[in-house]
Amino acid sequence: MRLLLVEDEPEIRSFVEQSLLEAGYEVDTAEDGNAATQLASKHVYHGLIVDLGLPDQDGIELILQLRRSGITSPVLILSARRSVDDRVKGLELGGDDYLTKPFAIAELLARMRNLLRRNSSQTEDATRLRVCDLELDMLKRRASRGDEILNLSPQEFVLLEYLCRHAGRVVTRSMLLKEVWGMRIQPDTNVVDVHIYRLRGKIDTVGREPLIKTLRGIGYVLKGN
Amino acid sequence: MSSKATNPIMRSAAWRISLWATLAFAIGTMLVFAMLHRFVANDIQRRSDAWLSGEVWVLGDVAQRTPKDRLYRRVVGEVAELASREVPNRQRSTGNENDSVFFLQAGDDGPAKLWVGSGDGSANLAAIRSTKALVDVPYDVHVKGFNVPFRVAAVRIADGSHIYLGLSERDELRVLRSLRVRFLTLWLAIVLLGFVIVFYATRRMLGHVREITEAASRIGQSDLSSRVPNSRGNDEVGHLARTLNHMLDRIENTVHQLHTITDSLAHDLRSPLTAIRGKLETALSNDGRADQAEPIVSAIDELDWLTDFLNTSLDVAEAKADALRLSRTEIDLDELVKGMLDLYEPCMSDKGLSVQIRSAGSVKVLADPALLHRVIANMLDNELKHLPASCSVYLLLEADEDMAMLTVEDDGPGFDVDVRRQLFERRVRGRESRGHGLGLAFVEAVVRVHGGSVTATNRAEGGARLSITLPLWKAAPEAESHTLALTKG
Repeated sequence: MRLLLVEDEPEIRSFVEQSLLEAGYEVDTAEDGNAATQLASKHVYHGLIVDLGLPDQDGIELILQLRRSGITSPVLILSARRSVDDRVKGLELGGDDYLTKPFAIAELLARMRNLLRRNSSQTEDATRLRVCDLELDMLKRRASRGDEILNLSPQEFVLLEYLCRHAGRVVTRSMLLKEVWGMRIQPDTNVVDVHIYRLRGKIDTVGREPLIKTLRGIGYVLKGN
Repeated sequence: MSSKATNPIMRSAAWRISLWATLAFAIGTMLVFAMLHRFVANDIQRRSDAWLSGEVWVLGDVAQRTPKDRLYRRVVGEVAELASREVPNRQRSTGNENDSVFFLQAGDDGPAKLWVGSGDGSANLAAIRSTKALVDVPYDVHVKGFNVPFRVAAVRIADGSHIYLGLSERDELRVLRSLRVRFLTLWLAIVLLGFVIVFYATRRMLGHVREITEAASRIGQSDLSSRVPNSRGNDEVGHLARTLNHMLDRIENTVHQLHTITDSLAHDLRSPLTAIRGKLETALSNDGRADQAEPIVSAIDELDWLTDFLNTSLDVAEAKADALRLSRTEIDLDELVKGMLDLYEPCMSDKGLSVQIRSAGSVKVLADPALLHRVIANMLDNELKHLPASCSVYLLLEADEDMAMLTVEDDGPGFDVDVRRQLFERRVRGRESRGHGLGLAFVEAVVRVHGGSVTATNRAEGGARLSITLPLWKAAPEAESHTLALTKG
C-alpha cells in the first residue's frame, strides 16, 4: 500500500517515513502543500498523513482541496496544537483521524492501519477471534486458552479483545485508555499496567508460553500467530 | 415559580417605572388643579360679593326713597333686571329665573315687610334669621327646599328694618362643577396617554438593555466573538452597548493573543519533542540490548512527563485567563465516575486501598469530556499517590436543584496544613509528591471554567475531602436564565 506523508519538519518526516517503511508500506513524502498536491495528482495513494502546520498552506485547506479534486483516501492528521479545533473534529466525523504531537510511533501505525481497514471495508469474522491458542467467543463473551476456559471480567474481556485484534503489533497505554475505556487521559499513575498485569495473570499462567509482552517505554504487544 | 402566576408585564421594570412616573404626574397635576380651583372659586365669590354688596346698598337706598305703595313695583323691576345680568355664563335653560334672586325687607322679628322672589319667602326669612352672621359682609344661607345655598347681603335702612338681597350660588357652583368635570376628563385622558407613552418608551429602552444583557451573558458563557446589539444612536443605552463592545474587542484581542502565544509555544516545543521521541523509539526498537534500552525507556518517560506538564500548564494558564476552549457535550457523571472507577479500582486494590461509591443515579452536566475525564482522573491519581496502604476512598455523587457535586474522601492523613492553603496554586506539591504539582490547580481551573467550584478540606474524623461542583445540565438552560433576567430586571 502506498502512503503520502506531508510534513515540513525533516526530523519528524524522516523517522515517520522510516517507521512506515519498516511496517511494510510504500511511502512518498512532501514537505509542503504544493508538493503534496502535485504528488497526489500523479499517483494514487491508499492513505495520507498530513501535518496541520505546513509552511505554505493550512493542513485542513490542503485536505479539503484534495477532497475536492476527488481523492477519497483516508487521512491521518498530525496536529501540534494542544486542543483539537472544530474543523479537525468535522474531518474526524468524515472518517479521518487525528493524532496530537508528540505521538508514539506504535500509535501512528495503529491509527493508520485502522483507517486503511475502515476504507477497504474488509469485514472480519465477528463471532470468533483466534490468536495462537487463545480463542475469543464474541457472542458468548467467553475466552479460552487451549482447553482451559478463562474466567475474565467483562472489562478484561474487552481489553483482551483489543489486544487480540492488534495481535503482533504494539499498542500504547493511551490507545488502550481511548479504545477500551473511552478516555483521552494521561494518568501519571500505573492504572493501565495493573489491568494488563491482572490479565496476564489469568492468561499466561505458569507453564504456558507468555503471550502478553511489555515493551518498556512504549506499550504492550500480544504475540501474533 | 411565582412569576408564572401573575402577568409578566406587571412584573416588568417598565411597568413599575411608568406606574410611578404616572402616579407622580397625576398627583402633581391634581394638586396644581386643586390650588387653581380654589383660586377661581374665591375669585368668583369675591366678585360676586362685591357686586351683591353694591346692589343691596342701591336697593336699600331705593327702598328708603321710594314711597311704600310704589316700592314693590320698583323692586320687582330691579330684581328682574338683576336676575337677568347678575352672573356671566349662567344657563337660562333651567327654567325659573326668579328663584335665583330674592329681595326681602324685614325687621328683627315679625313677618317680612316686603318679599320679591319665588314662593312666600317665609323659609328664606327663617333661614336668614337662624344664620348668625355679620351684617356688612355677604354670607351663605341654606334655605329649606333649595339644594344650593344663597349668598345673602344685608343692609340696615333708616326704619330699622333690614334689606336682604339673596343670590343663588347655583350658577357659580355650576361653573365650578363644569370646570372640574372638564379638568378631570382631560386629566384622566392625559394621565392615561402619558402612562401608555412612558410605558412603551421605557419598555423599548429596557428592551435594548435586556438585549444587551442577554448578549453579554451569552458572550460570558462561551462565544467571545459575538457583540451586543448596537442599533441605537447617541443615548445612554447606545453608549453602554458601544462601551461593552469596545471592552469585548479588547478581551477578545487579549484572549486571541494568549491563544497565539500558547499555540506557538506549544507548537515550537512539540515539534522537537516529537522528533526526539521518534528517534528514541526508533533506537529502542532497533537496539535489542537491554543495557542500552533502560536509559532510552527512561528518556521516553521523561519526555512524556514533559509533554504532560506542558499541556497541563498551558491548560491551567488558559483556564485561569478564562480562555480555555471548551467543546461541551452532555455527560452523565454517574456513568463517567463508574467507568473511571472500573479503570482505577484494580490499581487501588493493588495498593491496599478500598474504594466505595455512593451515587443517587444519573447526574447530567454539560462539560468538555476530555477535560472532565482528566479532572476526575486527577482526583483519583491524587488519592493513589498520596494515600498510605489500607486506607479507604469514598466517592460520593449527589445533586441538588442546580449543581452536581462529586466528593472524593479518604481516611488517610489529610492535606498538609501548610500546603492546603495554596492547594490550587500552580506548582504546589506535598513533601513526598512525585507529580508536577499541577494536578489540583488543573482541577480547580477546569471546574471553575465550567461554572463550578472546588473545595478541599480535612474531615473532622481525619482524612482529606475534595469536592467539585458543576452546574446541572437542564433541558433548556437558555430559556430558564432569560426568564430569570426578565423578572429580575
